[in-house]
Amino acid sequence: MTPKNIIVFIAAAAVSLAAANTRFGDSAHAIGVIKANGGSARHASHLDAGKDAYTLIATATVIPPYRGDARITLEGEPKLDCKLYSSGPVLDLGIRRHPVFREDTLFDLQPKDRIAIWAVIKPPAIDPVCGMAVKDDFVSEQHGGKSYRFCSDDCLNNFRLNPDKYKNNAAQGKYTLAFTDTATGKRVLDIPVLLGGKEGAGDGGHQH
Amino acid sequence: MADTSTKSASFWAEHRLWIIIASILILLPPLSFLFQFTQDSNFCGSWCPRMFFSWRKGQAASDFFLGFARSYMGVTLVLGVLASTFFLGRYWCSHLCPVGGTMETGSRIVPKWLKINFSAIPAPPVRYGYFAVYMLAPAVGLGSLCCNYCNFATVPRMFGAAFFNGADFAYFLRTAGLINLGLIVVFGFLAKGGRAYCNFMCPIGAMDSLSNRLGLKFGRRMNVDQSKCNSCGACSRVCPTWAIEIKDKAAIDHYSCMPCRKCEKACAKGAIAYGKTQG
Ligand code: SF4
Ligand code: SF4
Ligand SMILES: [Zn+2]
Repeated sequence: MTPKNIIVFIAAAAVSLAAANTRFGDSAHAIGVIKANGGSARHASHLDAGKDAYTLIATATVIPPYRGDARITLEGEPKLDCKLYSSGPVLDLGIRRHPVFREDTLFDLQPKDRIAIWAVIKPPAIDPVCGMAVKDDFVSEQHGGKSYRFCSDDCLNNFRLNPDKYKNNAAQGKYTLAFTDTATGKRVLDIPVLLGGKEGAGDGGHQH
Repeated sequence: MADTSTKSASFWAEHRLWIIIASILILLPPLSFLFQFTQDSNFCGSWCPRMFFSWRKGQAASDFFLGFARSYMGVTLVLGVLASTFFLGRYWCSHLCPVGGTMETGSRIVPKWLKINFSAIPAPPVRYGYFAVYMLAPAVGLGSLCCNYCNFATVPRMFGAAFFNGADFAYFLRTAGLINLGLIVVFGFLAKGGRAYCNFMCPIGAMDSLSNRLGLKFGRRMNVDQSKCNSCGACSRVCPTWAIEIKDKAAIDHYSCMPCRKCEKACAKGAIAYGKTQG
């Protein structure tokens, strides 16, 4: 143990500790269970507001006796663009049966199956004053080199009166990544997704 | 007289690159061959070798051991690696691990002038500084290094993304994914020898190096024959883990050595060989 080694050890530990405490607000990991009468996630997934894109990784285990096909949707307002991918092998060698993911549906879920769905979520542009998703007929306004769009002259005027209050507003709200059984229409898993929550997700960053 | 101890083991020294490539083909996408037996497609899931042994503050014992059950293949793998290292040296890391193997193989393709030589930084204190935080930070509730900075997630997903797997591609669409990619590139592909990531910040490598050191007296390792060594330093220049210091004679640090056996090949005097530790 030379003094140099001790210094390097402390420096490495300090950098590592800083890294361990860095949270990335553009991704979250939810762990849940799929159940016939309504499964749940271990905790809500928190994402910061104002990012261009988010990745939510949802892993879940199917609890017996549930079997069936489940459609996955992201529910909430304003509507977010959401693309779903199933984490499966590139070349399926057919060694083990597993649920098949097509379009937005998991087919042939069976007890004890484990699934991993990656949702890439893109928030829409919004009117920063009232929060409505931007439509074609919105009026636009330049401010500080950025372009903003408003549903009405009311919202535009409010913005002009107090741009600092509104300029950083981005899509946020409470969403649910919902798994719905296609045969019965029943929810088999609800994953709450909080867009705009800055409180740390209680999971210590255990996410992949 | 032919030296039988190196002869019998020379398969591992001569064919290392091919063994690494075979391991990559067997374990990583597109085939993910072994993983498909357990309904997995990469190390995330029942093969996760990193998560089960780190205890999180507030985690009940039952939950902790449920993690062992969830990652039963990862537990088996890590125990197998630690046990084999104790007796035979770190062959998992030098020859079999597809993650370290990818970084080293990738670094062979990178032109010399682009490479970064990290050997000025002593590796063991960095490794154990990182590892201490890896184990202790979640235990006292100060964040976690586990999944956010994972070589075993990133490298397989690089292969998956290369084959246009949507979920693997999505891994790199977020800050954490890009940071991991950066770490693999800088400390893997761009590092001289391709093993700086392994040497600094792989928790499996950190545990494995402890097993390597603990088993030194009992097992087989790389040894320097002091009477043959002429202190030329050829071995230390090729070592990917900068484990050889030329003091009076060459000395191998068994906290860092994985028996890649490059030094053995580089030594013109035949002073380095793999075998039972003497003395
Ligand atoms: S140190 Fe880690 S990544 Fe490197 S070869 Fe060993 S187990 Fe693999
Ligand atoms: S000491 Fe020799 S065998 Fe060990 S890592 Fe360095 S070059 Fe490889
Ligand atoms: Zn409005």
